[in-house]
Amino acid sequence: MKRWMIALASATALLASSAMAQEKIKIGAAPYGLNAEFMQIWAAALQEHPAVKSGEVELTVFDGRYDALVQQDQFKTMVTQKYNAIIFAPIDVDAGAAAVQSAADAGIPVIGSNTRVNSDLLTSYVGSDDTISGYLEAKTVLDKIGCKGNVVILEGPVGQSAQISRLEGNKKALAECPDVKVLEDQTANWSRAEAQTLMENWLTAHPKQINGVIGQNDEMALGAIEAIKAAGLDVKSFAIAGIDGITDALHAVKAGEMTSILQDARAQAQGALDLAIFNARKGDYKPQSDIWTTYKDMPWNDGKEKIYNVPWTPVTAENVDQLLATRK
Amino acid sequence: MPNHSSTYQPEPGQGVRSAAEEKMMSVGDDKKAKGWLGSEQRRLLIQEYGIFLAFLILVAVLSVSNEFFLTAGNISNVLLQTSINGVLAIGMTFVILTRGIDLSVGSVVALAGIVSASFVTSSATAGISGAPYPVALGIGIGLLVGIACGAVSGLIVSRFSVPAFVATLGMLSAARGLTLIYGGGRPVPALTPAFRWIGTGDVFGIPAPVIILAIVFAVSWWILNRTRFGRYIYAVGGNPHAARTSGINITRIQFVVYVISGGLAGFAGMLLSARTGSALPQAGIAYELDAIAAVVIGGTSLSGGVGRVTGTLIGALIIGVMNNGLDLMGIQSYYQQVLKGALIVGAVMLDQKRNYGA
Repeated sequence: MKRWMIALASATALLASSAMAQEKIKIGAAPYGLNAEFMQIWAAALQEHPAVKSGEVELTVFDGRYDALVQQDQFKTMVTQKYNAIIFAPIDVDAGAAAVQSAADAGIPVIGSNTRVNSDLLTSYVGSDDTISGYLEAKTVLDKIGCKGNVVILEGPVGQSAQISRLEGNKKALAECPDVKVLEDQTANWSRAEAQTLMENWLTAHPKQINGVIGQNDEMALGAIEAIKAAGLDVKSFAIAGIDGITDALHAVKAGEMTSILQDARAQAQGALDLAIFNARKGDYKPQSDIWTTYKDMPWNDGKEKIYNVPWTPVTAENVDQLLATRK
Repeated sequence: MPNHSSTYQPEPGQGVRSAAEEKMMSVGDDKKAKGWLGSEQRRLLIQEYGIFLAFLILVAVLSVSNEFFLTAGNISNVLLQTSINGVLAIGMTFVILTRGIDLSVGSVVALAGIVSASFVTSSATAGISGAPYPVALGIGIGLLVGIACGAVSGLIVSRFSVPAFVATLGMLSAARGLTLIYGGGRPVPALTPAFRWIGTGDVFGIPAPVIILAIVFAVSWWILNRTRFGRYIYAVGGNPHAARTSGINITRIQFVVYVISGGLAGFAGMLLSARTGSALPQAGIAYELDAIAAVVIGGTSLSGGVGRVTGTLIGALIIGVMNNGLDLMGIQSYYQQVLKGALIVGAVMLDQKRNYGA
């Protein structure tokens, strides 16, 4: 008897849940990998979106494990399971195109987020322009050293879209200061430990000559700071900049050791999700995230735009405490 | 073919053989072993000095081509930059001497780094409740984590006869996953100054990690060259069957070498987080490859039984000096990778020539 009751109860529950699932919109998110802090904030922001919390949307996040092929297979899965829309942050600009194609063939809208993909089939893209951040960070370094002196550049993995664009921005700012010499310019692969070693060696090779450090991300800028400290030098006598606004960097900004530029993972994620729902519903949807009111420079425009540029937020002594409060 | 039972040799210059060594010597082909003794020892001398000579040449070239290379500050830098890989490579030497391999050390670096960091962070959100705890506790726990990982690998290899490559490949994946689970994928920042001392402190100007590397090296040298356990490691790697028949507990030896490698990897993880000031979940990726490279460049044979920890230390120094020197000269890191590749293959080619061509 008891067993019957349980069976009956679970059967009803199953029926009820499948009936509910049919009304729900199924959205898949395919970030390139979840090992680093930025993408974790990004994925967490998706889960905190009002439409996910209210149960209106059923969201599944697929970890791309930094592998273009893994991402492609995940797209196949989503196509087979008839997802209503896909949010895509590809590991590679070109390798992601095939995945977008397979979804487009099945009539599933794909919204790009954070990283770019070379494909016309992308419905919309929500991201931040890395050439702007590259320009802004180099500019803060050059301003601090008074547009003269020597700088070093710590680059991301050569060939990645963020590295290419940020370097382009770096160079644009450097061109405005012809008296500034770039002493060294190498990749530290976004890694704090690699940047630390590189900076230790550069400080030896160019004693008392380096005035500024342009780190293409925060991790590498933090590695440079550790190297400077280890060499017994005063960090504050250097101009150091990074990009992304990771938690450790916010603390360093607060200590007056560096500057950073926040890339708003939350806005990129929630903006893309609003667009995904909008397209899955074929236009019958009003955006629910508060980001559209936060960023006046990025209007919703009825979800019609191809590219939504999330503005960069320079981290300053004034807003750093407020930003730190959001990192729990 | 090299005669495995006779390839075990004491460090050159070592005195009288012990009874156990005599026993080992008699295990193999007696007739051959006598003839091999002289040439083998000569060969070992070449091996020893060969790698040392290569190191000296490298240092000489870099000293001439860069004015800063041979400054006290830079020498200290190179030693500092070699310390983590050096500690890992020494642990790896123990494993490789028994014909094993430990692919998991990079992941164990991250796991031990983040677990220990969570006990010694002053961050209100990243640590475990009550943190920061005393440094000794953090270090003890980091070591325990490393030892536990090594013990699991060792158990799987020695008791269940799973190939070391497979067992430690599993641990590579599992330990990385545990790292991400434990820290929620986030770094543990704001480590206490007392903990950071092991990575950034110094004693009379000598960086703490360098002193730690020196101690690890000295103890390992002593174990491998002066203890019965050390001789057993060579015996097990040289000829497991002969070792078993002569009454050596192979299972125990195999188990312990992975525990040593795991423990040292745990320690290296703490050195890394102490140096960078923050324990990162993606730390240590591919570190196992540099450790294996140092062991191989140092002349230790992947087929076990042959090699010395002195060679490993020089191998690690060669990698460190090369990276540092090329950085000083402003040469792109891509070239460093190519050179390192050539060095690894070159070292083994020399080794093969010694073994088969002499």
